[in-house]
Amino acid sequence: MRRLVAVLGAAMLVAVSCSSSATPGGGASPSAASTETPQQGGRVIEATISDIATMQPVLVNDTASGRITALLYDNLIQVDYKTGEPQPRLATFSVSSDSLKYTYTIDPKAVWSDGKPIIADDWLTGLKAVGKSKKTVRKSSFTNIQGFQEYSDGKATTIPGVSIDPSNPKKFTVTMAKVTCSAIIDNIGYVLPTQVFGKYVTDASKDEIDSAPENTAPTVVSGPFKLNEWRKGDQVILDKNPTYWQGAANLDQYVYKVVANQTAITNGLKTGEITFGTIQAKDLADVQTVSTVKIDKYQNLGYTFIGWNTASPTAIGLADKRVRQALAYGIDMDQVIKAVVFGEATKQVAHHVPVQWAYPSGIQLNQYTYDKAKAQSLLKDAGWTPGPDGILQNKDGKKFNLTISTNSGNTERETLATVAAEQYKQLGINAKAAPEAFQGLVTKLTTGDSTLEATIIGWSLGAEPDPYQIWHSSQIPDAAKNVQGFGFTFFKDPAMDKAIEEARNPSNGDCSIAARKKQYETFNQILNENQPYNFGYANNVLAVSQNSLQNFKPGSFSTVYNVYQWWVKK
Amino acid sequence: MRNFLIRRALYAIPTLLGISIITFAIARLSPGDPIRLFTFGIKDFTQEDYLRLLHVYGLDKPIPLQYVDWISNAVRLNFGESLIYHREAGAMILERLPNTLQLAITALILQLAIGVPLGVIAALKRGSWADGAIRVFGVAGHAVPAFWLGQMLIILFAISLRWLPSQGMLTVGKDQMDLLDRLKHILLPAFVLALVGIANYSRILRTETLDVLGQDFIRTAHAKGLRERVVVYVHALRNSLIPVVTALGGILATLVGGALVIEQVFSWPGIGQFTFQAAIAKDYPIVQAGVMIASTLLVISYLLRDITYAIVDPRIKVS
Repeated sequence: MRRLVAVLGAAMLVAVSCSSSATPGGGASPSAASTETPQQGGRVIEATISDIATMQPVLVNDTASGRITALLYDNLIQVDYKTGEPQPRLATFSVSSDSLKYTYTIDPKAVWSDGKPIIADDWLTGLKAVGKSKKTVRKSSFTNIQGFQEYSDGKATTIPGVSIDPSNPKKFTVTMAKVTCSAIIDNIGYVLPTQVFGKYVTDASKDEIDSAPENTAPTVVSGPFKLNEWRKGDQVILDKNPTYWQGAANLDQYVYKVVANQTAITNGLKTGEITFGTIQAKDLADVQTVSTVKIDKYQNLGYTFIGWNTASPTAIGLADKRVRQALAYGIDMDQVIKAVVFGEATKQVAHHVPVQWAYPSGIQLNQYTYDKAKAQSLLKDAGWTPGPDGILQNKDGKKFNLTISTNSGNTERETLATVAAEQYKQLGINAKAAPEAFQGLVTKLTTGDSTLEATIIGWSLGAEPDPYQIWHSSQIPDAAKNVQGFGFTFFKDPAMDKAIEEARNPSNGDCSIAARKKQYETFNQILNENQPYNFGYANNVLAVSQNSLQNFKPGSFSTVYNVYQWWVKK
Repeated sequence: MRNFLIRRALYAIPTLLGISIITFAIARLSPGDPIRLFTFGIKDFTQEDYLRLLHVYGLDKPIPLQYVDWISNAVRLNFGESLIYHREAGAMILERLPNTLQLAITALILQLAIGVPLGVIAALKRGSWADGAIRVFGVAGHAVPAFWLGQMLIILFAISLRWLPSQGMLTVGKDQMDLLDRLKHILLPAFVLALVGIANYSRILRTETLDVLGQDFIRTAHAKGLRERVVVYVHALRNSLIPVVTALGGILATLVGGALVIEQVFSWPGIGQFTFQAAIAKDYPIVQAGVMIASTLLVISYLLRDITYAIVDPRIKVS
């Protein structure tokens, strides 16, 4: 379905990947190794900073648990690790011309680890589990499936939007109540073994699925690995699933090891205690001196930005588009990237990142190349002129003060806030950095706290590029009505709303990448012009692995998609 | 003694109750909403979802009511379900407690095994270069931050020399009963955790031994013609150790507290690291369970100290 790939995005990804697949110690490169016959056995150890919370996909809400469930349970479809385009995994799929029906056919070879075939009913079990669960955070992803909401509310015992082919238990169709372009990703859903979880989703079941013992000790899996042991707080040990339907993994074991922090990951990679992990840009030069590891770089699926509160009662200048544009011209982002992340990032001028197909590669966006004179001119046009003390002030004599908040403890963002404040001082703005605890900052952002003037934070994006939750005007928080949301810049634009809606629920039913991409071009153009964010930069992911690990080919969208093909060179 | 024990146990109740109220209040009144925190940025997460989760976890009730709910369960050793892990918080803390105790007890053994001999040597060699070196070590042991020393030792022994592992309790894939491997893993964190105690004990022992060596009964022992070794190790050391023994009860609590930093540096899967991460994530039940269990340990250790004190020195009475 999504055949268009953002040309620029792909080009940049290739450029990044090619230039950086370094093997500092002259170790075997992945491409050289890929011609060799994989050796059987061995183990990989991946480090994680927090322990997993669950092995129940329906309840997953953290990166660590997501990693383990991806190794235990295969999904209906997967996304291409470089482009994010949907591809078959457990099932092939097709979409009706009106974008209302999604038909899936599960691979005839696909079996559970107990030998039973994986069938459509197993996907339905996953969907029912979402409906029954009170603790899942994913209910809303399925509300547009016909009858799901009624089932979830306990008003129905069946979901009419799901029909299983009576002649083929591996084939089923999902019917949407309205055109929902994100459904191709959302409907991946959860394929759970009915022979295990079926008893928690009977008509009489309530929310027993939330406390099922199999959530922490899965007995039947569909993925390349199965649980051996979970040593709480220390490690999760997975053994290979010998009956994996795509062929048993080359590795014997996959260990997910909990470590305290990023420094411990770097140390473990250097000593060989950890097989692969990601490091911070500040540690890159150090790790490059280690001969036993190789480094893969690729663009992160997310970006770090400065969000302007366009409705701030204290930094009133932020309401003016010219001022926000001046703040874009007035910061040397290329220099900032060098100073803050040692050059390991790409400047962003729009919401979507270059590796996403939604990236507006077909239009010319203002790059806001550093131009102090232009920034000063724009500020002057907006009525901000230097006062006797050099600080900008408006015609009422109100000074341009600007507090840039960010979450304390994140040294990268704290440095960015300090550097940004310094550069804005050069424009005559009385700017200062103000780190504060992440916990409090999140609440302030989502409740639309008016005391926030500018905030540095980051978004992690997904394979589905719908920006509704961040940029649609309905998502602007309203403290008076106790409405929370991520629209903490208070920026809204009717044309932008329409573009978001048309890419999300198109009135003509066209969910093709070409049609959606066009809407996202309009959307990104409006953002680029109005600058409610300074879009900052998208970091490079620095994935470090031992030279002995072969066929390890991580990308922006996935790391473990081909884990069953990894092998360890002895 | 029985009345003493009962009275001290009763003292513990208001102490623990007070701690529970303070911990609960600090956790709930500090900025931040745990549901918003762990759902921040989740696609399609709606206001309705938010309200549903608030209700499921009982966070939509007034804070005093939340406390009443919590304490009435806590007295039955049910500390509530973790907001993130969906499991009973007390059980999760207890799973990790043996790891912390293992580290703390090893550190305690190191403190005694190194600190006591150093103190005695410093006293016997008073004014010598050895005495000077031990005293400098004592000052350094107090002055060097544990997190810095830990990182330096990792760089030296794990990364450069490759003699010891940099993190964890056990090499992945090793048998859980492989004592040598466990010893290798615990050596660095236990040493760093023990360092302040080593410095303390060497200082206490030096002072006490010097004091005892100057007393009449030591002169008498010498006059009786006893060998120097017998005088020092049988007569002097036994008396010098009294303050050390009485300090042991309290030191365990100090070690459990100190383990918080050490567990972070060495990725030791104990309650310190776990509770710290839970506090950042505002996982209230874990934080409360962690603090209450650690506080109970602390109360018990102080109780043990007082008992030891009363046994070692019968002149001390409980008023």
